[in-house]
Amino acid sequence: MNIEKEFKNIVQSRVESIDEDNFINNLHLERKRRHAKKIGFINGVSAAAFLAIFGFASMNQLTDDFSVYASNDLQALEVMDEETEAYVYDIASYLVDSSDDIWETIMFFDEIQYEPIIAMNNRGIE
Amino acid sequence: MKTDEELIKQFQSGNDDSFNELVKRHLPGTYGFFIKFTSDPIEAEDLAQDVFIKMYKALKKFRFQSKFKTYLYRANINMSNTYLKRSKWRNLLHLDQAPEPVHFDNTNEDQWRRDELWDAVSKLPSRQRIVVTMRIAEEKPYKEIAEVMGISENSAKVNYHHAVKTLKDQLEN
Repeated sequence: MNIEKEFKNIVQSRVESIDEDNFINNLHLERKRRHAKKIGFINGVSAAAFLAIFGFASMNQLTDDFSVYASNDLQALEVMDEETEAYVYDIASYLVDSSDDIWETIMFFDEIQYEPIIAMNNRGIE
Repeated sequence: MKTDEELIKQFQSGNDDSFNELVKRHLPGTYGFFIKFTSDPIEAEDLAQDVFIKMYKALKKFRFQSKFKTYLYRANINMSNTYLKRSKWRNLLHLDQAPEPVHFDNTNEDQWRRDELWDAVSKLPSRQRIVVTMRIAEEKPYKEIAEVMGISENSAKVNYHHAVKTLKDQLEN
């Protein structure tokens, strides 16, 4: 048995012609498709990396101290300007004067942490 | 007619038509190689396409240290190795059947014989299969086979000898 000869006959009979222009068109289409896919992949990975870094940095800035996130429209008296301070005193006086239930008013001041009223409450209302 | 190297230089300067010319020039050889290797025209076209897509990127940085023909042939060899590994996994996982060879003769006995021989060739170790394909199908001299495969000429001869002996043993049994 001449394997070389037999094998040669087989492989040589397998060759077919191919449409070159069609092949080249398909080649460039596939090349562009792969390139677009690669760019999409790179963009996806970049976006994921950005989100991971941004998310990690954000999480690191969070704290368990609730007061950082709490807000109060009324600032402490010592940091208020004079006009605001006068306004707050007026409102406080008005609420105390007009209240039917002074204790309810004081509880309200307590809720909004209005220190002068609490101080007054501790000393006793004059 | 421009040489391969001239076409590559033009392609590197941004002329895509030169690349197309290069593909046209080397497509029959590359496609023919894969047809012989896979015995499946569709697989062969896909493999040839993969090779030329890689060439499109690689030729931008080609430094002319070897002949383009040798460079392309080495790419074909690498691609056929990839194909063999992929086929082994596919067969192992039963995802695909071995490709059916394309036949052009009408006698059943010849067809059976070809199937048997092709099956035996497909079972050869990849290096032997490549050497035997290049030697018999492409009629390449050992020197060129060795150069393309990056092995010594003697190693190419030994691989060829082993391949032919294995084929004879398998077919006689």
